[in-house]
Amino acid sequence: MHDKQFMRETLLEGAKAFQAGKMERRSFLALCGMAGFLAPSVLAGRAEAAAGEIVMWNWGGQSEECHTSAIGNAFTAETGMPLKFDTSGPLQGKIKEMVDSGNVTADVCDADLFDAVALGKTGHLEPIDYAVVDKTKTIDGYALEHGISIILYGYAFMYDTEAYPDGAPANWADFFDTAKFPGTRSLYKWANGSLEAALMADGVAKDALYPLDMDRALAKVKSIKDSSIYWGSGSEAQQMIVNGEVTLGMIWQNRGRSIENDTNGRFKLVMNEALAMPGAYIVPKGNPGGPDVMKFIATAQSVPAQLDLFACLGMTPTNPEAIAAMSEADQPYSITSAANMPNIALNDPTWWGENTDAAVNAFLEAIS
Amino acid sequence: MIAPARPALNPGWILVLPFLLLVGALFIGPIFNVLWISVTDPEPGLGNYTALFTSGSLVKILWTTLRVCVICTVISVILGYCIAYAMVHAAEAKRNKMLSLLLVSFWISVLVRTFSWLMLLGRNGVVNNGLEALGIISAPIGFMRNELGVLIGMVHYMVPYAVLPILASMQSIDGRVVQASRSLGATGAQTFWRVYLPLTRAGVVAAALLVFIINLGFYVIPAVLGGGKVLMVAEYISVQVLVTLQWGTAAMLAALILFGVLALLFLMSRFMKLGTVFGGAKA
Repeated sequence: MHDKQFMRETLLEGAKAFQAGKMERRSFLALCGMAGFLAPSVLAGRAEAAAGEIVMWNWGGQSEECHTSAIGNAFTAETGMPLKFDTSGPLQGKIKEMVDSGNVTADVCDADLFDAVALGKTGHLEPIDYAVVDKTKTIDGYALEHGISIILYGYAFMYDTEAYPDGAPANWADFFDTAKFPGTRSLYKWANGSLEAALMADGVAKDALYPLDMDRALAKVKSIKDSSIYWGSGSEAQQMIVNGEVTLGMIWQNRGRSIENDTNGRFKLVMNEALAMPGAYIVPKGNPGGPDVMKFIATAQSVPAQLDLFACLGMTPTNPEAIAAMSEADQPYSITSAANMPNIALNDPTWWGENTDAAVNAFLEAIS
Repeated sequence: MIAPARPALNPGWILVLPFLLLVGALFIGPIFNVLWISVTDPEPGLGNYTALFTSGSLVKILWTTLRVCVICTVISVILGYCIAYAMVHAAEAKRNKMLSLLLVSFWISVLVRTFSWLMLLGRNGVVNNGLEALGIISAPIGFMRNELGVLIGMVHYMVPYAVLPILASMQSIDGRVVQASRSLGATGAQTFWRVYLPLTRAGVVAAALLVFIINLGFYVIPAVLGGGKVLMVAEYISVQVLVTLQWGTAAMLAALILFGVLALLFLMSRFMKLGTVFGGAKA
């Protein structure tokens, strides 16, 4: 209470001094900052990587404990090396900055396979050592020179069962049909998945999506712009659906199951025509842990690790043995299960790795 | 904090020198690095800057930013002026309470505010549900996830910034000038427009500059409350740095904002002494 009183007086005095010309603007702002007005700056707690340990760079939250229980514990038991985390989110720009600065503090990034294409080309990544990592324990085409897909996530959509009692939307064509299914819908803001969904809605076959016909996709996206909003993070996508802001919402498919359960099935996930996205492990050039990181990636490919990641995060395994070992109840939520596989589209990491800049900027221009 | 009144080359500078070097290395250095990137990435030259004339999307983003910032500044300063006016004319105890309320809103994090607005004014928010229950509206009003939502969020955030400089300038007015004006036959309105408002002009300008400059860098509020449709320059810079790796474009836009702010301050300095607005400078 006294502190508040003091701060209040200090701030007012500061404002007076500032006004009277006795205090500089910067000092006044600093004072405002001390008084408690400061946007919470999130400083990434970087774990300093050293030989004898592996630092994983991921997105934090639940994934930290899931990566520990699913991969880290087995890896430590096997090699004696602990697994540590940097949870600040390995976006391409951050990886590039880290490698360029020469101060590489992470060994493996929980990233996308298209990052492996983009950053591999510019020399920011170590090649994957396929003597240690097994090329056959992933989906065909998802073991690349600079990265390998460990799990899959996907772009699917959910709908509000109360909004459409007479018939449920079943594919992207329905999602984009505002006459048949009125209401607001949400798409991913950074183009990925949204472009593919638009093309499938426009009649492009799901195995003939790439190279993406940008003009056609953007025209389709614009055609529902008036009834669309766009999300930038998984939690935002979830809120838009659960808070009833949208009646049709694109979502990362691994979140769909928990939303269905939490809302007693009011919102339903549609896996038909979902776009499977290869989540990949990539290794920054000059990683401190050296070649040991390849053993870590191999551990992540093992069947128990893959099944644990699915149970913990909802991410679909890429190892065919793990997919085959999944329970009946889990199959519908696994994007590459035998039942789902014929109905989904597979992302092309090479196209995205080479065209992300143009595609994202064109998409942003179309929606803003 | 308090600028010395004496001329430069005071031995005190030796004490300050290490900190100046620190500021130079950690603040000025990176700014020059940004400027450098803006003319060297992806290739040396002014290509990033000429894109301003050839790329419709860059112009659109800058125009959106400018439009939102100007509207937000005008509304924030008007609201701030009213609040400061009420505070200055309230009794001491009441004024303190008002100041507390103002500062409480200072303390709320931007994320909490943003999501509170969604709960209040969203499609299924308290206001829309209430109005629908009362039968006043039949379909929810689109307050959020558009430019209106961005403006509501930003104005709410900026009003305290507008109040404090204006409040300080109002408190420094000698109340007798108002009485003098009235005693010489001016009406209340005349006194306000011709005596009171001009006397608070420095506070209004300070508030407007402060609000406008802070507005230029807004990221979270447009990104969330705009529903992806209100793309402002800060979010665009972030996408270019983190996702598309077009660091040259990002650096160019950052430099543009920096020079824009400096130009604004210069322009203002032509019309009034910035020293009276921000302090520090010698008259």
